[in-house]
Amino acid sequence: MTTAAGAPPSILHCDLDAFFASVEQLHDPALAGRPVVVGGLGARGVVAAASYEARRFGIHSAMPMARARRACPDGVFLAPRFDAYRDASRAVMTILGSFTSLVEPIALDEAFLDVGGSRRRWGTGPEIAVVIRDRVHAETGLTVSVGVATTKFLAKLASDRSKPDGLLVIEPGTETAFLHPLPVEALWGVGPATHRRLVALGVRTVGDLATLGEPTLIGALGAARGRHLHALAHNRDDRAVVPERAVKSVGHEETFAVDHRDPAVLAREVAHLADRVAARLRAAGQRGRTVQLKVRFADFRTVTRSRTLARPTDLGAEIGATARDLLAGVDPGPGVRLLGVSVHQLGADDGPLTLDLDGAGAGPGGRRRAALEESIDAVRDRFGADSVRTARRAAAPPGPPAGTGA
Amino acid sequence: MKFRAEREALADAVGTAQRAVASRTGALPVLSGLRVTLGPGSVELVGSDLEMTIRVTTPVQGEGEGSAVLPARLFADILARLDGDTVTVELVGEDARIEAGRFATTLRTLSVGEFPRLPEVPENGVRVDGAALAESLRQVVPAASRDDARPILTGVLLAAHEGGLRLVATDSYRLAMRDLPGVSMLAGDQRVLVGAKGLAEVQRLLRDGDIEVFLAERDVTFRVGSADITTRLIEGEFPNYQQLIPSDYPNRLKVSRDLLGAAVNRVRLVSQSRDTAPIRIRMNPDGIELSAVAQDIGEAHESVEATFDGGELTVAFNAQFLLDGIESVGGSVIELETQDPLRPAVMRNPEAPDFLYLLMPVRIA
Repeated sequence: MTTAAGAPPSILHCDLDAFFASVEQLHDPALAGRPVVVGGLGARGVVAAASYEARRFGIHSAMPMARARRACPDGVFLAPRFDAYRDASRAVMTILGSFTSLVEPIALDEAFLDVGGSRRRWGTGPEIAVVIRDRVHAETGLTVSVGVATTKFLAKLASDRSKPDGLLVIEPGTETAFLHPLPVEALWGVGPATHRRLVALGVRTVGDLATLGEPTLIGALGAARGRHLHALAHNRDDRAVVPERAVKSVGHEETFAVDHRDPAVLAREVAHLADRVAARLRAAGQRGRTVQLKVRFADFRTVTRSRTLARPTDLGAEIGATARDLLAGVDPGPGVRLLGVSVHQLGADDGPLTLDLDGAGAGPGGRRRAALEESIDAVRDRFGADSVRTARRAAAPPGPPAGTGA
Repeated sequence: MKFRAEREALADAVGTAQRAVASRTGALPVLSGLRVTLGPGSVELVGSDLEMTIRVTTPVQGEGEGSAVLPARLFADILARLDGDTVTVELVGEDARIEAGRFATTLRTLSVGEFPRLPEVPENGVRVDGAALAESLRQVVPAASRDDARPILTGVLLAAHEGGLRLVATDSYRLAMRDLPGVSMLAGDQRVLVGAKGLAEVQRLLRDGDIEVFLAERDVTFRVGSADITTRLIEGEFPNYQQLIPSDYPNRLKVSRDLLGAAVNRVRLVSQSRDTAPIRIRMNPDGIELSAVAQDIGEAHESVEATFDGGELTVAFNAQFLLDGIESVGGSVIELETQDPLRPAVMRNPEAPDFLYLLMPVRIA
């Protein structure tokens, strides 16, 4: 939403600094000041987060872990602990939520706020940003960078530019002065391909982009992208901050250390992923109706297949059976590099209960199956994710997956 | 083939047979048609979607013999709108010519050779009291599932039970069970699973008087007046329903059926969806209170006079399933027996112990 010029900006973008790595440094004070890298530790894992100490060695997220290790042999390399990050994220989001109900979480470490309605109680956007930064640090030990502007995309650009541990306010009327000198790839939606095409048009900065007419951009980039970038270059972004009440899907992925072609091995992995997804659904008190399988081949070609069930489920057996069915329709011939299972169309698990028609415990959906999976959750909570496995998976030859991602 | 019929009688017969005609014909377009066969003194009309077949005969004055497949919907719509007392149908080459008063139409027919062969009706049937069966079907059929993902639950179990007949249906949210003592339709410990859709048609056609039931290996035929409704038996094992019915209920509520139904209908107005609205029932020895809460809309509650024997508790039910139960049990007083907010409750009419409606609660936050 655009604010009338002169009124203080009220859109905030809050972005925790080196989030995963910072949480690790907080948990283990011995890591403070050291280069900490979090990500998949296997041969083909990638970096999920790097502390600012590690970034000095050129390490950044999405970099192959092997390269990160070469760049910084003395670094601390850790596997991600999503439960800890989720807890920390929840604490921060709670603080953000105390200033306005208009909080739109983008990721565990990132959220937009619209504090336009909080002025009487908490002050202007820039004033609230200062309080948020203080409170997040005092209550969680984490540092958060905040951008304040009149639009979402400017607020995000501002927080990026203020990192780490910074605050940047784009005052109304100064937007184009801030925006136009920025390199064009700073804009949302400018990836490598679009960037190449823009460079061919002689566009290097956002200011260059703003000199081009919309028809020119549409001709070069297509209607949707052309219109989008033209609007951004002129600081037009009328997307509202939309508070999100619930997550839209829950999923789990595994990148393998070697490419798999054996359907039996893949089916086993799918069952394992389904169990983990189900456990997370149950932990969140959610059920979902649509099961999606994602398969990435050795050549990075990715296909997804999904099926909607008759009723929502949070049972690993049911999700696994559906995902294995979907897998049967995919030819693993080219070699499978990554498998993912996710459940969509989520809803809270209030709602109609069902009769235990499969009372003998035979089929999925029976209450005995649910009770069994809940007991397994409890054991895994206490003794770790691998303490209970299906016979199918326990029989598998050892060989940990290279990387995990949420 | 040419025949003259009373318009109303033919329209009725076509309307009945047409109810079995497939709504989506898929690979077999001829199934969108009605097969009309002229015999001595009558025509036979057959509609089928392969799961269910309805065959009706009605008297006509005919010339010659023959068969044709007419587009069912169109045929039925035309007959329903015609004026006059009589109508003439004549097959002219590949076309059917229909005339009534000053109206005439020529319709392309479908290929009669492609119409599927119909299951044979066995010779020996069993006579069953139509009124009793109609009442049982009215009580049980609504509880069957309409979701084809679990075919078994789209059927009604007909089982021989203590010398009588037992009907059971469930969609996994509720279960309806009716006993018809003395109705010996099935022998020994025989049990069959009959599609609820076919039984709903049987119920629609049933009047007082006996009907005949013909059980074959793969299907069952109900002969109601001049109509035969044949429906395929569903293969598979019906869930073990007996273990679902609790033997003991700590909490017993008695309430006027009319008052409860009216209160549910009022309270559920305040909801996102009137069908799926969870209706909370708070029960204590002083009576009950129904309530519905809908985010962004509001809330409603109503207290209803009742006698309650048990510990105070609140249970929520899906509004439509609750109303279906209230409708099905009949009588003037309803007994609602509950265990706890998460386990099945039972509704019945204390004066008619032959019927039971088991209902799962809705989990509320």
